[in-house]
Amino acid sequence: MTIELKIPEYSANWAEGEQQGKWGMAIDMDICTGCQACVAACAMENNIPFVGEADSGYGRSMHWIRTERFWEGEFPEIKMTPYQPVLCQQCGHAPCEPVCPAFATVHSQAEALNLQVYNRCVGTRYCANNCPYQVRSFNWRDYERPEPLPNQLNPDVTVRRRGVMEKCTFCIQRIHRAQDQAKAEGREVADGEFTTACAQACPADAIVFGRIDDPESAVSKLAGGARGFHMLEELGTLPAVTYLKGG
Amino acid sequence: MTDNFSRRDFLKLASVGAATTAILTGCGPASRYVTREPYTQMPEYTYNGQSTYYATTCRECAAGCGLVVRTMQGRALKVEGNKNHPANLGKTCVRGQATLHGLYNPDRVQDPAKQSKRGSRDFSNMDWDAAIAVVADALKNTDPAGVAFLMGMAPDHLFDLVSDLAKAVGAPTPIRFGALGMFEARATLGKAVENLFGQAAMPFFDLGKSDLVFSFGANFLETWLAPVAFTRGFANMRRGGGHGRGTLVHFEPRMSQTASKADMWIPITPGTEGLVALAIGRIAAEARGATSAAFENVDVEAIASASGVSAEKLDELGKLFASADAALAIPGGAALAHSNGLETAEAVLALNALVGGLGRAGGVLLAPLAPMQTEFSRPANIAEMADFVEKMKGGKIKTLFVHGVNPVFELPKSLGFEDALKSVGTVISFATFPDETAMQADYVFPDHHGLESWGYQRVAAGSSQSALSGAQPVVSPYYNTRATADVFLAAAASAGGALAQALPFKDEVEFIQSKLVALVGEGDGYFGAPEINTFTAYFQQYGGWWKTVEELSTPSGDVLGKAIKVGEAKFAGEGEFYLHPFVSPVLGEAGANKPWLQEVPDPTTTVMWGSWVEIHPETAHELGVDNDDVVLITSEAGAVEAVVYKYPAIRPDTIAMPFGQGHSAYGRYAEGRGSNPADLFGEQVNDAGDLAFAGMRVKVEKTGKTYPLARLESRMGVYGEALGEEH
Amino acid sequence: MVKRFMSWLSDPLGRIGLLIAFLAVFSGAAFGLYTTQTAPPQPIQFPHALHVGLEIQCLYCHPGAYRQASAGLPTETKCWGCHQQLSKYADGTVALPAELQKLKGYVDAGQPIPWVPVAQVPDFVHFNHRPHVAAGLNCENCHGNMAVTGFTVAENPQVMNMGWCLECHRARTAEDPEKRTKLLDCGTCHY
Repeated sequence: MTIELKIPEYSANWAEGEQQGKWGMAIDMDICTGCQACVAACAMENNIPFVGEADSGYGRSMHWIRTERFWEGEFPEIKMTPYQPVLCQQCGHAPCEPVCPAFATVHSQAEALNLQVYNRCVGTRYCANNCPYQVRSFNWRDYERPEPLPNQLNPDVTVRRRGVMEKCTFCIQRIHRAQDQAKAEGREVADGEFTTACAQACPADAIVFGRIDDPESAVSKLAGGARGFHMLEELGTLPAVTYLKGG
Repeated sequence: MTDNFSRRDFLKLASVGAATTAILTGCGPASRYVTREPYTQMPEYTYNGQSTYYATTCRECAAGCGLVVRTMQGRALKVEGNKNHPANLGKTCVRGQATLHGLYNPDRVQDPAKQSKRGSRDFSNMDWDAAIAVVADALKNTDPAGVAFLMGMAPDHLFDLVSDLAKAVGAPTPIRFGALGMFEARATLGKAVENLFGQAAMPFFDLGKSDLVFSFGANFLETWLAPVAFTRGFANMRRGGGHGRGTLVHFEPRMSQTASKADMWIPITPGTEGLVALAIGRIAAEARGATSAAFENVDVEAIASASGVSAEKLDELGKLFASADAALAIPGGAALAHSNGLETAEAVLALNALVGGLGRAGGVLLAPLAPMQTEFSRPANIAEMADFVEKMKGGKIKTLFVHGVNPVFELPKSLGFEDALKSVGTVISFATFPDETAMQADYVFPDHHGLESWGYQRVAAGSSQSALSGAQPVVSPYYNTRATADVFLAAAASAGGALAQALPFKDEVEFIQSKLVALVGEGDGYFGAPEINTFTAYFQQYGGWWKTVEELSTPSGDVLGKAIKVGEAKFAGEGEFYLHPFVSPVLGEAGANKPWLQEVPDPTTTVMWGSWVEIHPETAHELGVDNDDVVLITSEAGAVEAVVYKYPAIRPDTIAMPFGQGHSAYGRYAEGRGSNPADLFGEQVNDAGDLAFAGMRVKVEKTGKTYPLARLESRMGVYGEALGEEH
Repeated sequence: MVKRFMSWLSDPLGRIGLLIAFLAVFSGAAFGLYTTQTAPPQPIQFPHALHVGLEIQCLYCHPGAYRQASAGLPTETKCWGCHQQLSKYADGTVALPAELQKLKGYVDAGQPIPWVPVAQVPDFVHFNHRPHVAAGLNCENCHGNMAVTGFTVAENPQVMNMGWCLECHRARTAEDPEKRTKLLDCGTCHY
């Protein structure tokens, strides 16, 4: 007897030649001062738990955005590479998506973002292993927030529990809020009307967020410039984040 | 439990049962325990379930940045910048973002309390009436000369109130102090401006319009004066405006966060910053074909050998400085914290005069005074604090009020503030958090958190417009705390007499209005109002009041007319290393109790939840220490243990330590974490009375202990690496 | 542990123990299931039918539904604002009924009424009333007809699960592929 399995054949959600998503970000590494305001702003907006010293030491801190820096050369000719804020690149062709057995890591057709559906996630961590940018973080525990710290939690964002993978969402709750507001007023969302928590906090305005599919938007203009490049471009992941080279 | 069925097994079985229940029911019953409690009386400006935004002022440092806080159902959810505010134009720094972790910190002081014995931590709660009676009694029945007020650098409205109060009692003028002011060398900067331009003022460095910046130790991208405003200026300089991309050259013995953004980092010998400025001045003057008395007798060769910057490099730098369209030289931070710090500040400021940078866009200007401010003011320097501690030791201070500052932690340990407290009759702390000073107080009468408070703060630096930042409560007080201003007003009223007459205000808001009334009808304002109530309403709505026009003034004076002398820096202590302390760019002076700030990695080392000592890898090799080894650092004044971080971008003869950790109190997230470099500081001051905290030599010894530092730079987990474990 | 467990199982006492444990788990689960299927007790037996019968609009008490995510619960001062004016109670001709006395008790004490939500979605679902009202849905489409005589505290007319949501989303977007993409997207509700 043969059993007919009714599992649909998996096909990735991207089309060959799809260059741009819908939302995009441009980060000017020449201007970024590494001040970490984006890191704190992201944590405050997105209910990211703090894991404490021990778990931080094990590399389990939950930052959705981090600034990377490397060293080049030896003292006194030593140089620090420009600070690079690394967050989920919202790939058009995302390595995390095809490996999720639970379809918790899926591509949003409507917003062209990589979603993490917490209620589907079973915690295999395949996605994090397959992410070349190391931007996914896993809830190894139910991290404690002593009272009254939970008062600060953002009601627009799910509080994740143990065993769930999480990552930057491009502040999708803000996208929804702005779209809903615009729709209620019968208009389109204007460029710069809202932005992500990191871009909003950035004292240097090094992070610019907006519609990458609108050639007139601030982010498209920056990303299209000569200084723009994508992180690990050679992997063909089609990131929605464009970095602007230093100098 | 029987032998063959242990308690452990039972628990396992029980948890299987609980899990089965949960799976079968889809966690159903749990959701039934939720209740929704609507407002009993909803504030009229609130819409159920919709966010309300309030403008207020950040209190994480004294810069006075404007905030807009998102609240919902009476809870503060997110801090955002106030877009209209001239100090920060809608932006915030990392500490401003984390201020909510102060507001909802689990370790806040919750009630007014009396401590049975200082340092015992045995507090018994009081009610506020009793607390006010204690304050009233202290004000009324202490010899006025024996009453002292020690205030922090924020908020200004309370300082004004306490100043009025001190005047009414006949007590000495309140003293203001803050560790940031000490590390910024504010007094030195102010004194240098006064000496050169004949006018005490806060200089305004117009980074944004400059195309070449020489920064001598000024860590303006971290915590210095007004970091958000300077970061904006830096970004504008890089974007280039009319000039093309601007260049930053930074002189510091260690690559700080600011130095890491520089196009050229010059690892200069500590204490030679002023000399190097002179050499650059001489070369630049020659390159411009100008002769200037200021730099005439400068021996470039000697300076090259003293500073470790080669003569060729000095030549290159001097010519670069001379050729720029809008060059700017900034003195600050550790460069001024040497015995020759004041001379250094003058030499660096004089460089600006040489290239016509005084009063020019992209140069040095003088910042306007804030509204209602009549003269430049600065916090106390260490010389003044030392005098104050002497007075305490001499038993001249009977009652000490402390607000907004934590001197036991922030002052150099060698000053002996903690010991001197023993000679003070009554110590009353108004701390919001259980800090070290509160632990040495007889009474703690907690003030509200900054986000629960009324107030105003003068914007001292970073704004070209004269600005007064306004604060209002964004949420109602969470605990049984009370505004210190209200406590003083109530105490003054109950003390009666001249005190009650001097402060005839029903509450803090009325006092603030009595000051703001001077601005009603003032021109050129962001808003105007015909009378005080409307004015106050706008003041709250917009988060302050500021001029719409720039009011920068041009410094004048014969800066280049006479030779500038920079002496040799004197170093206290015998050790083989220079000590270079700096303020943690993430924690600042008081961020250690906020859990998310602890978990934000330091920008340059990526260390979280700890403090460290930076040692050059080769030096570490010579000392026989490696990452995570604990070393004992001994200065002339004290000794601390610190964990080694091998930092590749520091001079081999220098070690660096961040200030911000090493608390012995201050709540669960701060206490017992890392070490405090202030324990190493001596009492050497510069000519402006600022502490020469960088003018120290220290010894470094191996202890044989290790302590693994949590670092973000290894996502693989540094513990596994350090302890040889697999995880 | 498994080995010990097996040896313990061969003991008759152990088998009885296992039976008891199984019964405990089973009855616990059954009780749990039961509680999900019954309306929770509420602090006040609020007669929705009576209020709807008086032609009070839903949005009068739950105005948030019209413009934001949460419909909102009225403050008790809003309840009491009407009820204290009812002349038959005010002039004492009719004694205040028990349920209204409870309301008065909360108002006098300044305590919020601890309502137990009935129509609710889990934490990881972000439901927004406004677009649903804007799409022309009436309250009763999801919350049931509150005007049925005798209807007191709200009870859900159906299980509010994802299948139910999607059924409607699918049906209503059959002609509009763009809208369909948006309304079937995981990220529209889960973030």
